[in-house]
Amino acid sequence: MSGVKRRWTLPLLLALVTVGIVAALLDSEPSGTGAENVGQSGPEPTTSTEPPPQSDEQRAPRRRCKATQSNPGGTNNYLPDAPTRDSLGSGFVITGLVRSAAGCRPLKDVRIQVWLATQTGGEQDNRASVRTGPDGRYRIETDPTVPQFGEPNIHVGYDDEDYGEVFIRRVVDLDDERAVVDLTLARGG
Amino acid sequence: MADRRTLALGLGAAAVVAVPLTMALTDRHLAGASLALALSTATGALAVSALALQPLLARRAQIARHQLLGSVVLGLVLVHVAALFAESPGDARFALSPDGPTRARMALIATIALLGVVALGALRTRLPIAPSTWRVAHAYLAVVVIALGVGHAVLTDGALDDAGTVVLLALGLLGLLGVPAAHVVRVRRARATKPFAEEAVRSGQTERPAPS
Repeated sequence: MSGVKRRWTLPLLLALVTVGIVAALLDSEPSGTGAENVGQSGPEPTTSTEPPPQSDEQRAPRRRCKATQSNPGGTNNYLPDAPTRDSLGSGFVITGLVRSAAGCRPLKDVRIQVWLATQTGGEQDNRASVRTGPDGRYRIETDPTVPQFGEPNIHVGYDDEDYGEVFIRRVVDLDDERAVVDLTLARGG
Repeated sequence: MADRRTLALGLGAAAVVAVPLTMALTDRHLAGASLALALSTATGALAVSALALQPLLARRAQIARHQLLGSVVLGLVLVHVAALFAESPGDARFALSPDGPTRARMALIATIALLGVVALGALRTRLPIAPSTWRVAHAYLAVVVIALGVGHAVLTDGALDDAGTVVLLALGLLGLLGVPAAHVVRVRRARATKPFAEEAVRSGQTERPAPS
């Protein structure tokens, strides 16, 4: 009986370890927790810089949009107060719509910070502050992003007084030409 | 004949080491990269090559080289990780955290298994376990290291994409097939040394005892 027990102990142990390894891998997200792929390619859609007309639904006082949550890794290589820049190169565009959670309205003149690794330097070298236009959209052109720790990724953050801070890490594919990161900001975080 | 075989094996091993290393270091993604990133890429590529060759050195005649190469792989992996921390401590900590990407978790598990397989190798004669148990545990951990180590490299964008991915998969296959092949070779040699073959297979001893 003890011989039978001994014969099964090692296979059972290895089977349990294998199950543990598979579970640990399945529990992870391919690009890290919450890091969606936001890359796009092809011609950039044209957008008006005028604020969009508000629908009845938007005018309704109780309407509330879900605030964007920071995701793990969002603050990696963040240095506060990135310099205001018109561009960080050419070949790749980071853009998005910034809205208020209360009322879901586009927010104009809000400072958004972006940082990413390109062939000209790491994430702490390629950073910029941009402001949203009247339509609540921000846009900055950069050099194409390069794999940073195994995958091209970009960071977008809001870190000013009026709304709660948000730090986002998203991934793109190597041949993407654009990343779209929309933010919905809530007062008080 | 033996010299030709040795030469062919040497050339094959040199190709296994040189091809991925050259592809990785000449890739456009390393253009303008920091020394730390180049070092982590080079050590990663070398470690994959060494893992592919390791099972081929598992037979008794090559065991000293097998043990040496095992220590070299561990050293390469530690330098690889240290270089990534030097490149960006925040990204390295994030990669190893529970929120890190799947490829980083594969690397973490492979590194733990590598520590285990090297420790098993170093403590082989001192552990109170049967030789057959030792062999199964050693082979299991070796398979985990090769499968997850190569999987980590394949899922990592950058220096070894496209043709590099094919090379990585070929090296992974070589290493994974090498583990059962090493077992088959050991069993055949044990049988060829009858009349003590049965006992040798059971106990893990594959050489004739020295005449007393």
